[in-house]
This record gives sequence, C-alpha cells and structure tokens, in this order.
Amino acid sequence: MTRDLLVVDKVTKRFGGLKAVGGDAGLSFSVPEGTFLGLIGPNGAGKSTTFNLISGVLKPTSGAVILDGKDLSVARPSDIASYGLGRTFQTPRAFPSLTVLENVMVGADNEGETLLSVLRGGWRSRERALRAKAGEVLDRVGLTERINDVVANLSGGELRMLEVARQLVRDPRILLLDEPTAGVDPSLQAKLSRILVDLHAEGRTLVVVEHNLHFLLQIADSVVVLQNGELLSKGTPGEIKADEKVIAAYLGADHAA
Amino acid sequence: MNTVFQIGLTVLMFGSLFSVLTLSLNLQYARGGMINFGTVAYFAAGAYAYAIVTQEPPHGLDQYLVGLDMPWWVGFIAAGIAAMAFAILTGWPTLRLRGEYLALTTFAFAEMLNSLLVNERGIGNGTVGLANVERPDANILGLSENIVYALAAFALMLATAYAFRRLLASPYGRAVDAIRDDEVAAQAIGKDIARLRFQVFVISSIPIGFAGALYAMITTLVNPDLFSAEVTFFVWIALVLGGERTLLGVVIGTMALVGFQEVIRAIPFESVRAAEIAASAEDIVTGILFIVILRWQPFSALARRRQAA
Ligand SMILES: Nc1ncnc2c1ncn2[C@@H]1O[C@H](COP(=O)(O)OP(=O)(O)OP(=O)(O)O)[C@@H](O)[C@H]1O
Ligand SMILES: [Mg+2]
Repeated sequence: MTRDLLVVDKVTKRFGGLKAVGGDAGLSFSVPEGTFLGLIGPNGAGKSTTFNLISGVLKPTSGAVILDGKDLSVARPSDIASYGLGRTFQTPRAFPSLTVLENVMVGADNEGETLLSVLRGGWRSRERALRAKAGEVLDRVGLTERINDVVANLSGGELRMLEVARQLVRDPRILLLDEPTAGVDPSLQAKLSRILVDLHAEGRTLVVVEHNLHFLLQIADSVVVLQNGELLSKGTPGEIKADEKVIAAYLGADHAA
Repeated sequence: MNTVFQIGLTVLMFGSLFSVLTLSLNLQYARGGMINFGTVAYFAAGAYAYAIVTQEPPHGLDQYLVGLDMPWWVGFIAAGIAAMAFAILTGWPTLRLRGEYLALTTFAFAEMLNSLLVNERGIGNGTVGLANVERPDANILGLSENIVYALAAFALMLATAYAFRRLLASPYGRAVDAIRDDEVAAQAIGKDIARLRFQVFVISSIPIGFAGALYAMITTLVNPDLFSAEVTFFVWIALVLGGERTLLGVVIGTMALVGFQEVIRAIPFESVRAAEIAASAEDIVTGILFIVILRWQPFSALARRRQAA
C-alpha cells in the first residue's frame, strides 16, 4: 500500500448559508502518492472550491487538509506551494508584465530571489540554467514559438498551457489541474494528455478536474465524483462509467443538456 | 546669465534630491503596487536623524534632549537607518492593506510623525526646529558649496537609480513584478508576498532617509513645516508627470516640476501683491497639472511595466 500524499479529512466549506463543499458530514478522500486522480461532477458541484481548500486559497469551515503528513490549517497558499503542491486555476492566471518565458521562469523556487543574492550578484549563472529549463518546459507544452511574446497575445488555450508550464518548472510533487482542456484546441489537448501520462509515469501525483470525461477517464487511474459538494462515488474509471448514480446525476444531466 | 546658472544649479540640486524620493516611490508603487501617501515621513526621519546625530548636546535655550555631536557621515548613515526603521514600524502593520487603505494609513502615519515633531519639543525644539544643522566643509577643489551639494545630490540620485535597477533586473525584480500583477497566482508558485512587499517597502525608504540628511545639510534647518504633506504630493505629481515606465522618465518628471517652480520663484515681481498672485498661480497650475495627468493616466493603468504591444 502506498502512503497517502494528500488527505482531505471531513472538510466542509460554507459561503454564508450555501454548503459549497462537504454538506454536513464533510468531504473525505485521499490521494496516495503516485496516483492520477480524476475529480468530476456537474457544474457547481464544488470541484474548484475543493482545489481552493487544498491549496489554501480558501480555508475550510471545518475539517482538515493534510499534505505529506502536514496539517495545512494555518499554512498560507505560498507555504503550501513550497511544500510541493502545484495548481492551476479554472480561469487561467498569468503575469501580464512578464514575457511568456519570464512567466515560466518566475515559477521556479529561486534562491536568486533573496536580497542577499541580489547583493552578491551570483544569480546570473543559475539564471542561465533556469532559462534552459523553462525553454524545455515551454517546448513540452507547445509554446516554443511564443517564448518572447507578451501574454496578452496568447489565446485562452495557450494561457492554460502557460500556467501548466509555470507549475511544471517547479517540479511539484502533487499537481492539481482545474479543467486543463477547456478552450484548448484538439492538437494541444493530445499534447496535454501525453504530458499528463508522462508525469504519471514519472511517479508524480496528479489531481485533475475535467468536464471532458472522454479525455479524463482514459488516463486517470481513479476517480472521485462530487455532487452538491458531497462525495457521490469513487472508484476506477471502469467502475465510475458503470455506476448508476453517476450516470443519473452527472452523465444523465450532461446528456439531457 | 548668472541667474540662469543659479536656477540651473538649484534645479540640479533639488531636482536630484527629490528624484531620489520619486525613484523610491516608483519602486514602491509602479513595481511593488503599494500606494505610499506618507513619503515625507521617511524624508523627515532622515533629516531629523541627521540633525540629532550631528548636533551638539543641548545647552542654553535648547529644548531638544539629544545631540550626539558625531561626524557628518555617521549622521548620514543614521538617516538611512532612521528612515528604514520608520518603514519597518509603519510597514509591518499596514502592508496587508489594499490600495487606498494603505494610502490612507501611510498618510496618517506621516501626519502623526509631523504632529509628534511639533508637540514633542524634546525631539527637535517643536515648531522652531533645529537650526544651524552641522554640515561637512564642502570647499573642495575650489568649487562653491552650492556646486558641491548639487553634485552630491546628483550622485545620490545616480546611486539610488543604479541600486534599484540592479534589484529590478534580477530574479528578485521578476518576483516583485509577478506579485504586483497577480497575488493569487504568485502565491500558487510559492512567492511569499508579505515578505517581498515588506522588503521592497523598507529598501525603498532607505534612499529617502539619505536624501533627508542631504536636505538638512543643504538647508541647515529642519522644522516640521518643511516636512508637511505638500512634499508627498509634490513627489506624487512628479512621478505621475514623468510616467512610471522608466527610471529616466521619473527623474525627468521631477526635474521638470522643480524647474517649473524655480522659474516662477525667480521672476522678479514689482510688488508683494504680484508675488502672492504668482505663488497661488503656481499652486493652481500644479493642481491642474495633477488633475489633467490623472485624467489621462489613471492609477490602475499606471502600475504596468510593459503593456501589451
Ligand atoms: N467565493 C465564493 N463565494 C460564494 N459562493 C461560491 C464561491 N465560490 C464558489 N461558490 C459556490 O460554491 C459552489 C461550488 O462552486 P465551484 O466553483 O467549486 O464548483 P465547480 O464544481 O468547480 O463548478 P464548475 O464545473 O462550474 O467549475 C457553487 O454554487 C458556487 O456558486
Ligand atoms: Mg470549477
């Protein structure tokens, strides 16, 4: 049995009267190290909120999130990121005053970002290595030609890939992706699928929210289904596809729509 | 010819001096995304620290309590430290505040310092201030004192611009830009935004303290009137005037504003009345300038280093 890298333990989140995540009992699931977990559910099911609770952007109303044995209740989002958690956002975020390359380079945990290193001036040599690494990652996500562009010139899909690249350059132990294929054209989607399969093969832990079930169920090795913030089902992609409740609640709704 | 030279020298001296403030403000605002409306306080902290460290111990009618009688360079260093200390004190509780709240709080801190200087006579004789501030013998190379101080101010400005440039061209500057662009995204890549913003705030206040020391040397007088909120508004206008995109623009904006004021002041008026009118005209024109510039370059658009091409 591999150990759990991430544990979501009886977590609830309320926005005023709205029980966005966990209902009354709380949402619990765990992600063993090296797993590729798919997180699915209809619109408003609480998937993005769950990501925000894990990454510290939001704090749970009750319950706990535990990463690699560490309780994250008082950790800031930047602390959680530095513990090895990477995430993207449903609406891609970029730094408009930086170029595409800089947008990726800034992602690395960088000793050059301390005042001492600025005084010593020793950051230049490391910067070369970082630039090379950022270039490789950009190549991997298919943005090589955009390397010196400003982010304002990128399409929505390219922004998404840029955000993935910015996380990849940090070598996170666990990577949370929120709808990575939304707005991404099919050729880039295939590329993304290959990247995720490779990352998984490298032993990295992945949690991916996707509406594109065709994309997700092919590559994930287990799936958690949310509905109204609560756990509806979990299992392998095969089990999920055959689950009556899921078909009724999610696929059914999808087909009806 | 002689007056033109004198005006040029004054513009170089005070233009350079205030450019140090504008450069610091530029780092805090255009790069760090922090609105500091209390700039004058760090300037005052530097000037008073310099005066107190270099002046003789109190005697006679002096109300101030401390005079350390140290050499000028000790006072100069103390000025940088004093501004830095005041930045630590004021930045720590306030930097978590957003935009206009930070502006209001820094403004309030500056007003508090001003009223402290007025009311606590033990610091600097209250409203009377500290006169005859010590200054180093500037008669070097046979140049006049004014020329030497103008050059010193210019050198301080260059050193400040160089230090900031170096900071911003490094990975550190890139992280600072990222935080200003999008805090949530910056946190998602592990940037400690509280630490970086605090550091930027504190670092950028140090040259303001040095400028305060130099200002005290030049005027040989420090009193609360010299350090009113007008100074803060002045540097903000200069920053907006020059545009925040390049350090050179910042300096040119400041020089232009100082030049404009000096030229108006140099006009020989026939009567007191005319001089009064000119003085209010200067205020009005400065105000209009501020409004006009803000109209076409609103704050939100200001904080962008490189806009979409
Ligand atoms: N900051 C917030 N304040 C108030 N309500 C919120 C907030 N964030 C999310 N919600 C609500 O919580 C519920 C869950 O939202 P969430 O974005 O997590 O859903 P989701 O599963 O990601 O949906 P989608 O598939 O549309 O992205 C929704 O009803 C949403 O309106
Ligand atoms: Mg969502």
